[in-house]
Amino acid sequence: MPEPRAVYVNGLGLSCALGRGVDACVRAMNDGPIRTIPLSLSGFNEPVRMPYYAMAGGDADQSLFDAGRFARLLPEAAAEALEQAGLASEARRGLPLFVGSTSFEVSSAEAEYLDLLAREPGSAFALPYVGFQQAGECLRESLALAVGRDFAFNTACTASANALLAAQRMISLGVLDRALVVGVEFANRTTLAGFSGLQLLADELRPFDVMRQGIVLGEGLGAALLSARPGGLGLVLAGGASNSDTFSVTSANPDGSSISALLRAVLGQAGLAPDQVRGIKTHGTASPQNDLGEAAGLRQVFGAMPPLTALKPYLGHTLGACGVIEMALFASALGQGHLPPVPGFSREDPALGVRPLTADAPAPPGHYLLNYFGFGGNNTALLLEKTA
Amino acid sequence: MTQGLLASSHYLHRVGSQALPTLEDALRAECRVQHRRVDRFIQLAVLGAARCAAGRRLREDCFLYLGSGVGPVGNNIMVQEQIFRDRQLPRPFNFVNTLGASATFYVAKELGLRGQGWWVSRRGASLEALLELAFTDLRLGFCTQALVGVVEECPAPYEDHRRRVHAPADAVLAEGSHWLLLGAAPEAGDRGITAAFGLDKTALVRGLRAAWSEGDSLAFGPAVPDTLAADLAAVAGVPALRTDFALHDSLAAARLTHWLSARPHGRLHLLCGLPEYYVRLEITAPDRVPLELAQ
Repeated sequence: MPEPRAVYVNGLGLSCALGRGVDACVRAMNDGPIRTIPLSLSGFNEPVRMPYYAMAGGDADQSLFDAGRFARLLPEAAAEALEQAGLASEARRGLPLFVGSTSFEVSSAEAEYLDLLAREPGSAFALPYVGFQQAGECLRESLALAVGRDFAFNTACTASANALLAAQRMISLGVLDRALVVGVEFANRTTLAGFSGLQLLADELRPFDVMRQGIVLGEGLGAALLSARPGGLGLVLAGGASNSDTFSVTSANPDGSSISALLRAVLGQAGLAPDQVRGIKTHGTASPQNDLGEAAGLRQVFGAMPPLTALKPYLGHTLGACGVIEMALFASALGQGHLPPVPGFSREDPALGVRPLTADAPAPPGHYLLNYFGFGGNNTALLLEKTA
Repeated sequence: MTQGLLASSHYLHRVGSQALPTLEDALRAECRVQHRRVDRFIQLAVLGAARCAAGRRLREDCFLYLGSGVGPVGNNIMVQEQIFRDRQLPRPFNFVNTLGASATFYVAKELGLRGQGWWVSRRGASLEALLELAFTDLRLGFCTQALVGVVEECPAPYEDHRRRVHAPADAVLAEGSHWLLLGAAPEAGDRGITAAFGLDKTALVRGLRAAWSEGDSLAFGPAVPDTLAADLAAVAGVPALRTDFALHDSLAAARLTHWLSARPHGRLHLLCGLPEYYVRLEITAPDRVPLELAQ
């Protein structure tokens, strides 16, 4: 086996409820307040209402379910990451693309089905087109990436985290020199109605708090340009791991066993002791069961708990996109030298035994863990190294 | 890059005027776990994976790579109809099963897998994408076995599905479940898959010329244009025949596992992938691949 190569994070892009662009998002995270909108879906037999973290600013504020929104907004985070990485147009040709999402372009398929139902209800058929490729095709065309490797990950809320991990491994092995990884999640009625039916939604996102009641959904785009060559951000995606937990299709085992096994695997691959981890971005969904499993897993691995943060209170649970989005936001905070606190946390849950940050903490150089867990029993953790 | 080929399974059912057969009896007979609240896509995945494993206990660190070009379509249709036509919230398990990851959950549960389980799609070439990921993880030593499968579902009414996937009105559609179990070469004996990814036309021709031997078999994925197929067949000195398969989104996978299920001795060169991003697979099966179960 060839000696694995270091994999650098050379460009980041971000669009979410905090703002458009990485700098705007980090400023908004530092400043607050947190922006949700009241959202209601009409026409159901029962009321469907929820707060929602919608993408902020500009034409994102038009109708959330506008048919053209997907293609219009999709390229901007990726374009930002490519620009930050300084990737010349020639180097973009054939750039491998790893996309992660739970819903991909379903918002567009919904709009078309609704249109068919309105125009010709007798012959309308659901899901008038299928596949997971529209995001990749749209990105390739709008960013002039030409033909290349495309991988569309659909592992629920770990989708774009797994996309990062796959790209990291292929670069590490020398199969690729660089890759663009994109997390995509747009507002769509299928997801909103589906989570409503699952009764997992809450009015406020309060990870690890004794009063936590569930998640608040959000939408967003995240992008990362990974490369075998060092860039200017001082960030290395040092590895990660993923495993399967067959306890339940909707949550990891609350005893923490699969999560602790995952975290040990990540540390073992990197040759790190638990006390060498400088901080952890938790998955922190604030659902009672998920936080229970994550806290138990963390306690089993870490004697002295590193500083814990959770980012979903800032931008909502962006589902399959949260892998890249939360890495981009977390990495940018590291670049500013701090770990952000967890808004909404006020009182520790004795059943969890963990206490996340309630104020900024310093972020020295070193290794940081990023946790992601999803439906389908999919657990993933990434290891990010801040080198300077 | 070469990996050992430990087992395979092949299921392909053409869609005619009759409804597709139910899978419940086969699942009851062949699976360890009676899975509840599963849709047809998951049934196809679990059955194909179980047949590939064929009762063998896979290693706990076996990684799972499941993919599809069009995914769990039937369940997604049902959920969209519930929401938009019937104005009801989707039933919880219908909603959860709209995700590809649900199928990986049930396959992992069936086979007792705890390693990585990924669901990945590439339209027209999902097997090729999965193999590239699996080869990477095997070479890096993150796993010692990789279970790789593609599943394509064909929900009724078939006329609607033809429009959905832009198939010609007279196309014969099919559903399929195609699986390979890869592992370290010593365990697999001489049976193996060699893969070269990301080739242009020139590299595809050059690679075939270097690897071809008298008596080998040649097959093409659907994205290889006829003119290129003719050039490649000329290199091999064989007629440029294309197997007449019914249509689903993972035809290269269907051709590969069909060849294995026919209990061949020899070597298959499968040229597939996407235009300007071709993949050359060389499948060696000097003995019978032991665990395949054809349908």
